[in-house]
Amino acid sequence: MAAYLINIAQHRLRHLKQEIRFKLNAWTISALILGLILFLPMAEVLWHLTSPAENWEHLRDTVLGRYLKGSVILVLGTAVLSVLLGVSTAWLVACCEFPGRKIFEWALILPLAIPTYIAAYAYFDLLDQLTPLLIWVRLNISPEAMTLLSDTMVYPVTIVVLAAVLYPYVYLVARAAFARQSSQCIEAARTLGHGPQSTFWRVALPLARPAIVGGVALVIMETLNDYGAVEHFNVPTFTTGIFRTWLSMGDLQGALRLAACLMALILFLLVLEKWLRFGARFHKSSQADRPFQRYALGQAKAGLAILCCLLPLVIGFVLPLSRLAYWASFNAGKVLDASFLKLTLNSVGVATAAGLATVVLALFLAYTARYFGSRTVGATNRLAILGYAVPGAVIAMGILLIAGQVTRTTGWVLTGSLAALVLAYVIRFLAVAWQPIDSGMERNCAQLNNAARSLGANAARSLFQINVPLLRNALVAAGLFVFVDTIKELPLTLVLRPFDFETLSTRTFDLAKQAQIPESSVPALCIILVSLLPVIWLNRQMRTPEK
Amino acid sequence: MKLLSIQNISKQYTANDAPAVNGVSFECERGEIVALIGGSGSGKTTLLRIIAGLETPDTGEVVLDEKPLNSPSVFVPPEKRDCGLVFQDYALFPNKTVQQNITFGKGAADDPKQVKRLIELAGIGGLEQRFPHEISGGQQQRVALVRALATRPTLLLLDEPLSHLDPELRDSVRTELLKLFRETDTTVLFVSHDIEDAMAMADRMVVMREGAAEQIGTPGEVYDRPVSQHVARLFGKTNFIPAGLLPNAPHSIPSENGTGRVVPVRPHQWRVSDRSPAFSGTVQSVTNRGSHREVTLATEHLALTIHLTEQIVINTGDALTVSCTLPD
Repeated sequence: MAAYLINIAQHRLRHLKQEIRFKLNAWTISALILGLILFLPMAEVLWHLTSPAENWEHLRDTVLGRYLKGSVILVLGTAVLSVLLGVSTAWLVACCEFPGRKIFEWALILPLAIPTYIAAYAYFDLLDQLTPLLIWVRLNISPEAMTLLSDTMVYPVTIVVLAAVLYPYVYLVARAAFARQSSQCIEAARTLGHGPQSTFWRVALPLARPAIVGGVALVIMETLNDYGAVEHFNVPTFTTGIFRTWLSMGDLQGALRLAACLMALILFLLVLEKWLRFGARFHKSSQADRPFQRYALGQAKAGLAILCCLLPLVIGFVLPLSRLAYWASFNAGKVLDASFLKLTLNSVGVATAAGLATVVLALFLAYTARYFGSRTVGATNRLAILGYAVPGAVIAMGILLIAGQVTRTTGWVLTGSLAALVLAYVIRFLAVAWQPIDSGMERNCAQLNNAARSLGANAARSLFQINVPLLRNALVAAGLFVFVDTIKELPLTLVLRPFDFETLSTRTFDLAKQAQIPESSVPALCIILVSLLPVIWLNRQMRTPEK
Repeated sequence: MKLLSIQNISKQYTANDAPAVNGVSFECERGEIVALIGGSGSGKTTLLRIIAGLETPDTGEVVLDEKPLNSPSVFVPPEKRDCGLVFQDYALFPNKTVQQNITFGKGAADDPKQVKRLIELAGIGGLEQRFPHEISGGQQQRVALVRALATRPTLLLLDEPLSHLDPELRDSVRTELLKLFRETDTTVLFVSHDIEDAMAMADRMVVMREGAAEQIGTPGEVYDRPVSQHVARLFGKTNFIPAGLLPNAPHSIPSENGTGRVVPVRPHQWRVSDRSPAFSGTVQSVTNRGSHREVTLATEHLALTIHLTEQIVINTGDALTVSCTLPD
């Protein structure tokens, strides 16, 4: 064992020496520095895990447990419900034949277009439906029982709302795993005499496990990132805790410690995810479906299947969208004015800047690591893209810390500037652009870069003549994804927006907070419409086979 | 001074795994065609990539035309090496036409006459404005070759140049390639797992096994005097006769199971004859292979594989006596 580890250490050291000696140049050095800069805000927050904070003892003894409990219940509940919804619908759509299957195949992704906080506003009165029950409990049992019940009921309600719009992450990967990677094994199981149930439990599900774990990880990250929904339903979680400690109690150090705890929790989850996947590669879901003999369902079963697919679709998309559209039809006149145009332009402006900056940076970082075969740049890239897992509120705190240090050393005021806001978006969404660009490069350009090098082309020529033209589609898609994510983003924007700078998402939040939910439906609808773009793109990607 | 000199190259990809290349040394003369041959995982492609600069060796030196490319303190990046590389899957740029592909290389566009001559030599005239996906696999391979040659490299490296071609094409392409290399006076190092390609094209071959160079020599030397049972088997089924049974054999090799020495005898080196030392036994099976019949003969201690061209009647169960004729 010791010899084994020593071998690894020596091997790594030799590589590091080679990298330092042979692979340091203007490209790799800039990529290393940029990668570390993008990671810096997250590192700063993590650093505060141990830094002194006056009220920490008090926070720890009073609220930390509550926030931890709230976050864990919410994460577990949302993850479990998302798996139930996502895997069952994926199995039905991929492996069974019933009327409407083809429509459900794409329609089941639609809830992805609804951000969690907007889903919560669309169901703003869900908790109120329980009021008669609560009154009954108070009158017939005891006031304490009522408090307990109302404290408990927020969890299932929030979990249902979150899972209804987050399950497509699981659905997408599970469907791809069933239809593409394991279809041959499913066919083999059938020819060996296994029925649908036994095939599902013994073949399809185990094979899809790594993919499903990946999808669940995304659900969990989104759940932890959410601020609007938990704030609305008044669920005590880390994000609500950070905002409350900081904005209501004015305790920045305490909020930082909370953010650091959340960051530690996320790192733990990332390690857990890796371990649960057992090193199985996240299957690429870019190939088209293979022709596949689906299970034909009888009438009764087909009816059940339709119900099963309809349920998440209605709760996650049809119902919230139609409620919002209904309210908007009354309030559009009131809300649509010059200031609305301005905040729309604000949203589009920062989202365009963030999209462009993120794509350029992601392209540069991914290309430099691949072209020079530099493991060190590859490693700093992985650090830089960690932002996808880190809640917006935490990144915002990190940016504020850095901005404060910059102001102290240089006198430049970054806090409350557009530059800081866009930088925060870049950090939060770098992975969204980096992932498709990097995998596109691996698939299409790795060998071509080698060919270009052996023909004497330098790095810039390879980049602009080979990689950029070949990756055009991936670059556009990456930019679009970041653009839309930026428009949807709430907590980070709330913290870092310049004074008096409003966007569609902050206006939605502000109106909802002032109990003007019907009015908030107008900006919310705009966000949903924009968010449908990548969903349509995803849908097309699912259908068109790649050459 | 040799054109290419490889000294003690080693490369290990993952700690605790066997190294991909383990202390290989050899040299190439100017104008020579050298084959790197071996099974999959023998390290031949890694070695080629190291020479091209696409991998960094852990130890060792590469010197090309008296210019050090790799040493403990030197690493010349691939774009600055004077090596052309033809990839196994050709790696043509799909967004560029044949002409643009060919003139992409450094200095390739400077001499249009040379490019035109290469295009004609390779027989791909008229395809210049097509895109790679619009031409056949054989044409793509020639475009890749011309693209590499158009930079007038000191050394041309080829990765499995014939592996994608069907058997009918292979023979003619081999001849064409040889002609092209001789006419352009190119020094070539190519990787192949196919012994026939290496025999037909190479002036010398380096047989790789488990990352090491097992034998270096002309095709004739390697065929007639393999240094091990592994090298002998590269050329197909081979009988290994204990040296004691063939006392006058000109060449013997250590046995793999460590029990003395054995003499490699190819199946076609047997004749039906009782000239001493002769081997008698019973025919176990007869398989018609078209040009010859493959006979398995069980003698007292050995099972021999024999290729018979004689037109005699032989059936399973017959008694047969054979002897072998070995080259000096």
